[in-house]
Amino acid sequence: MTAAAPPVTRPAAPAAVRPAAVRRARLRRRAVPYLLLAPALILFGVFKAYPIISSMLLSLTAGSGSVTHSAGLSNYQRLLHDPLFWTALGNTARILVVQVPVMLALALLLAVGLNAAFVRWRTVWRLGVFMPTVTGLVATGILFSFLLNTKDGAVNNLLDSIGLPTVDWFGDGFWARMAVVLVLTWHYTGYNAVIYLAGLQGIPKELYEAAMVDGAGPVRRFRSVTLPALRPVLLFTVVLSTIGTLQLFDEPYVLTRGGPDNATLTVSMYLYDNGFRYFDFGYASAIAYALTLLVSVLGAAQMRLMGERE
Amino acid sequence: MSHLSRRDLLRASGAGLLTLTAGGALAACGGSNGSGSSGGDAATGNITVWSWTSAADALRGVVPAFEKDNPGIKVDVQDVGNPAIWDKITVGLAAGGQGLADVLHIGCDYLPGYLEKFPNGLADLSALGADAHKDKFAKGLWPVVTDKDGKARALPWEVNAQGFFYRKDMFDRAKLDPTTFETWDDVIAGADAFKAANPGVGVLGINKPGTPGPDVDFLQSLMQQQGAFYFDLKGDITLTSPECVRALTLVKRLNDAGLVIETPGSTAWRTQMKDSQLGAGPQPSWAAHYIETKFPDLSGNWRLTRPPAVTPGGKRTAIVNTTHLAVAASSPRRTAAWKFVEYALTRADSVNAMFKAGSVFPALTAAYQDPIYSEPSAYYGGQPVLKTFTDLLSEGGDATNYSGDYARALKLVSDAQTKVLVKGGDPAEALQEAAKQLAQQTGRKIK
Repeated sequence: MTAAAPPVTRPAAPAAVRPAAVRRARLRRRAVPYLLLAPALILFGVFKAYPIISSMLLSLTAGSGSVTHSAGLSNYQRLLHDPLFWTALGNTARILVVQVPVMLALALLLAVGLNAAFVRWRTVWRLGVFMPTVTGLVATGILFSFLLNTKDGAVNNLLDSIGLPTVDWFGDGFWARMAVVLVLTWHYTGYNAVIYLAGLQGIPKELYEAAMVDGAGPVRRFRSVTLPALRPVLLFTVVLSTIGTLQLFDEPYVLTRGGPDNATLTVSMYLYDNGFRYFDFGYASAIAYALTLLVSVLGAAQMRLMGERE
Repeated sequence: MSHLSRRDLLRASGAGLLTLTAGGALAACGGSNGSGSSGGDAATGNITVWSWTSAADALRGVVPAFEKDNPGIKVDVQDVGNPAIWDKITVGLAAGGQGLADVLHIGCDYLPGYLEKFPNGLADLSALGADAHKDKFAKGLWPVVTDKDGKARALPWEVNAQGFFYRKDMFDRAKLDPTTFETWDDVIAGADAFKAANPGVGVLGINKPGTPGPDVDFLQSLMQQQGAFYFDLKGDITLTSPECVRALTLVKRLNDAGLVIETPGSTAWRTQMKDSQLGAGPQPSWAAHYIETKFPDLSGNWRLTRPPAVTPGGKRTAIVNTTHLAVAASSPRRTAAWKFVEYALTRADSVNAMFKAGSVFPALTAAYQDPIYSEPSAYYGGQPVLKTFTDLLSEGGDATNYSGDYARALKLVSDAQTKVLVKGGDPAEALQEAAKQLAQQTGRKIK
């Protein structure tokens, strides 16, 4: 600072501003945006960038507790030959392929229904559709483990009462996966429906009127007006749901813990087991990086396939 | 990829970052090294003890007498809660002992892991004189508390031997007497008679799919009766040993004989016992008190006998669970802490007081002279129910090495049991596969 200079020597009026002062002022002006950004950047650095880099380094170590040593790429090699990792990946893929299309189709139908002009008490319906999204996960888990209980759960009682065979929801691998799909769909359909609803309300009425004048029925209007107009929104939900399901953890954790015989073990659950149950942080970090790669590639591919052509 | 726009890439890598955050959370936990044990050997001062629930209450009961006999030492017993205590100890050891209590209550499934992963985290009790007490505990327990150099790192406190609880009324109806069962084959031989007399009732309950958690306590006890386990004392994998295969085959045969009913979840067995759907329960010693207090309506119907052996003439004892007290190496008052451990665990008066206060069944064999262990119990039809356990423990069991990879092994063995019980898999093949995966995950040798 200039305070070091005795005040007597300061010129009475800054008729000609010295170059140093100009530089300082410019510097100050340039520093302002960075100062404003600093809180966000520091937080990002401490809580995001540092762990991301640190886990990359961690993925190159092996051992657990205080007995760790550097291990090069051996964790990644181990990953390639780990049958449980491939099982987890296969389960995640199977759940993804069934769950995301079913959920998004349902959400779209719900959104179109909620948006229809003749529907009364819309707010009530919307609230009902969105409610599962705000339900806590543990509550969801407990709720569904009661509903799907093999012996005296409501779902099996219902199946039984209409003469259908009951289902061993948590004892059979296929049905355990279906239970996870069911809970996921119940939980997130409303969220996507609300996004679609917002998208639908942004479509100009004139387009529908023009289509009607041209003689298009409701199905044709849906295919030729609604769907193309919703394209960016659809892309957004497809990518987001795919990422969400690839990281699937909570539902199988509260419902099945990955069982029976690893039928609902997902990549994220396997990551958690290795990190926080076996304290093998190096291997868990390697799994995290493999998952990151997968999410990035799938995300990019989806945008490439579904994105707007320039 | 060349057509991928910059914006797309940025968006996709943004998606990747979301995932990385999950990995990032791990990074924060792994970097430390807990090699430093800068503790001291002060013989006086204030010491804290970490334990949980009824065991903590029981320990507190010993404190007044200890403080009277050891002026200069004050003891604060804290109930940290189980399972929270495992995370607290793990974090403390990973931080080089920072924030740990002086005395730690540790279960048999965690102790070997702490010894392997934090070799200098727990104090060497042999140096403080622990070896003098070596032969005072039930046979099979000392190898569990010693490290690979033979130094004691903890003292045994609680021990649970497996017992065979059974419904006398149900077995009477089938004209069977479980006290005459020499091996589990005798149980299978009586299967038809039992089922005919007690339709819909199982002799055992197992959560066959293992969801949401493993249910292999019974399988483990069958291995332990034969002196076998997932690992040998050196830490090699022994899942493919004849003993382990025999144990899982036996579970399969009991299941095939229709004696095993499905017990969904982790709590259904209580309801099944209450509703008389279970004719027996291979349960550890703590169950004696548990059954009596939880199912008062069934008073007079339950009895206890020694578990049948796996092979003719085989051992009846399986030590299925032990807990221990250890001293943190980082404690500045290791000698004072050791004095408390020694006072609490090597004197019959102390352990019996704790048994009476908190049902902590003692490992100290001298304690079994107390009349409390031969008192007849009205609930069990006048049977001296605890004597079955003290007899089993006086015979002694074999040491079990849970190793530092117990959690991994437990999961894989649970998967193997599910394959056998739910999918009709072959026990030897299922265990072979489990052993292979365990070796691949841990780098341990298959013996």
